Amino acid sequence: MKTFESILALVEMELRRLKHDPIEIITRAIQPILWVTVFGIVMAHRVALGVQDYISFIAPGVVFQSATFMALAYGIMMVFERESGVLKKLLSSPIPRVNIVIGRSLAGAVRASTQYIIVLASAALVGAKFTSNPLLLIASYIIVIYVCTGFTAISILAASLMKTRERFMGIVGAISMPLFFASNALYPIDIMPEALKVFALLNPLTYAVDILRKLVLYNELDVLIDLLALTIFNIISLAIAVKELNKIIE
Amino acid sequence: MFAIEVRDLVKVYSGGVVALNGVNLVVDEGVSHAILGPNGAGKTTLIRIITTQIKPTKGSVKVFGFDIMSQGGRVRGLIGYVPQEMSLWTELTGYENALIYAKIYGIESSKRAEVIEDVLEFMGLKEVEKRLVKTYSGGMIRRLEIAIALMCRPKLLILDEPTIGLDPRARMLVWERLLAYKKEFGSTIFFATHYMDEADKYADKVSLIDRGRIVAEGTSSELKKIYGVDKIVLRVVGDMEKARKVLQEFGFDVSISNNGEVSMAVKDPAIMLPKVIEGLYSMGIAVLEARVVEASLDDVFIKLTGKGISEEEERELIRDILSTRRMIRRGG
Ligand SMILES: Nc1ncnc2c1ncn2[C@@H]1O[C@H](COP(=O)(O)OP(=O)(O)OP(=O)(O)O)[C@@H](O)[C@H]1O
Ligand SMILES: [Mg+2]
Repeated sequence: MKTFESILALVEMELRRLKHDPIEIITRAIQPILWVTVFGIVMAHRVALGVQDYISFIAPGVVFQSATFMALAYGIMMVFERESGVLKKLLSSPIPRVNIVIGRSLAGAVRASTQYIIVLASAALVGAKFTSNPLLLIASYIIVIYVCTGFTAISILAASLMKTRERFMGIVGAISMPLFFASNALYPIDIMPEALKVFALLNPLTYAVDILRKLVLYNELDVLIDLLALTIFNIISLAIAVKELNKIIE
Repeated sequence: MFAIEVRDLVKVYSGGVVALNGVNLVVDEGVSHAILGPNGAGKTTLIRIITTQIKPTKGSVKVFGFDIMSQGGRVRGLIGYVPQEMSLWTELTGYENALIYAKIYGIESSKRAEVIEDVLEFMGLKEVEKRLVKTYSGGMIRRLEIAIALMCRPKLLILDEPTIGLDPRARMLVWERLLAYKKEFGSTIFFATHYMDEADKYADKVSLIDRGRIVAEGTSSELKKIYGVDKIVLRVVGDMEKARKVLQEFGFDVSISNNGEVSMAVKDPAIMLPKVIEGLYSMGIAVLEARVVEASLDDVFIKLTGKGISEEEERELIRDILSTRRMIRRGG
């Protein structure tokens, strides 16, 4: 129980920061809103991707594009906390190191998951159709948090290895765009060239987008394989982030 | 048992910097013990090893008998720690910082509110607890960090430069509270500083560190007695050169300053002063004014290492810290 409490404390810290300063959520939402509205509407008329309703189709992809970017950028806070004394203080507190990583990953994920609400709501405004089953909508929200936990862990790992702000932001930029394009976020896997297909199948984002589409677009519950793939991704990224945390302050 | 026991501690950073080069140190339970040394001496490195943040290259450290390597969890449960750099979330209020740390430190929910209330009151932060930390002064930030470190009533309080960058009034306030806490709970305080007067006034025991080695140890008066030199400073009527000659014949090493003061190092100034005055008088030289200048820890340091803990260096460090703090505020 105590173990759990320290993880939740770190999430609470993030929620309180968010409450005092919600600006990032709004500025980060501008780009994805443009994606689903302008891009979605324009592309819907131009391309035949074998997809019925393009705006609805890309909305889950755009949710994750925006949310994973926020998750991947979260580590910048750890870079700051490395320069300040916060990390030193945390590392000398009774909270186990693994909880620091899990707690902060979950905190970053909760912050990033706000994009789910904003993107789905703005897509719905321009005519996207999603499930009306509240349980599925809630389950999807939890899935978004789950996925972003792994990506925040990657970000913490990057912070441990990169150490300076510039190098950290460089890495985040280098990862996030390719991740988005080499996934099924914008187009179905079937129409991708073979080489890209391989990348897309190794890309956790593909499975994340797939789950979200199944749940909010098609009312489908056949998500076991996707969940398995994402769980493997989360375990691996959390484990490496924990292992490398020592490097952040050496 | 010792509060802290450090044996043959060596730390070589990955870049090859030898930060600690065979440190031996014991801190008795219930005392206030200072580690005093110039920039880069290794104070922070020592503290980061004791607080289990980084691993030693060689040697061993025990905290109340628990080994920092094999029993790190036990050690972390016993210490309250304030790092050299600021350890607060600046976008949260003072109260919220205390609350989150209380949860991280596992303080039971039934006691939490009371504990937080207590420490904030104790450190005089009750009126500002609802303000965001980014609006706090340096003194308030330090007091809040100490308040947070006191929440779990640590047996051992480890403070890295607890009053760096604070004005004299704020420093006094911080120390008055720290000593009150120590008295009430019989806790041990181990702190790093490069302020001579802070070690002198607030530490029962002082270890001098330079380039990764402890160069001397004792109470501040012991150190001054062994390594320091007290001085007698005189103002005489008439010919100073003659006074110098007479005093040199008595066997003193005499110097004359620009403002016409004659000064000399002596072992026991209280006993020597009347003799000196008498000696001069018998040679026809009258003493107008006499005073004893006691040795400072700075003299001790100069004697041991050939250099002082210079003012310039100190100002630079403070500037560093302040700019880091500003940067954290802006960035966070
Ligand atoms: N993370 C690090 N990596 C490499 N070298 C380091 C690291 N931290 C400190 N050092 C070096 O180790 C030496 C001791 O540094 P330390 O910070 O322990 O000194 P200090 O006595 O606390 O100094 P200050 O008064 O400036 O805080 C210095 O030469 C410093 O440059
Ligand atoms: Mg230091």
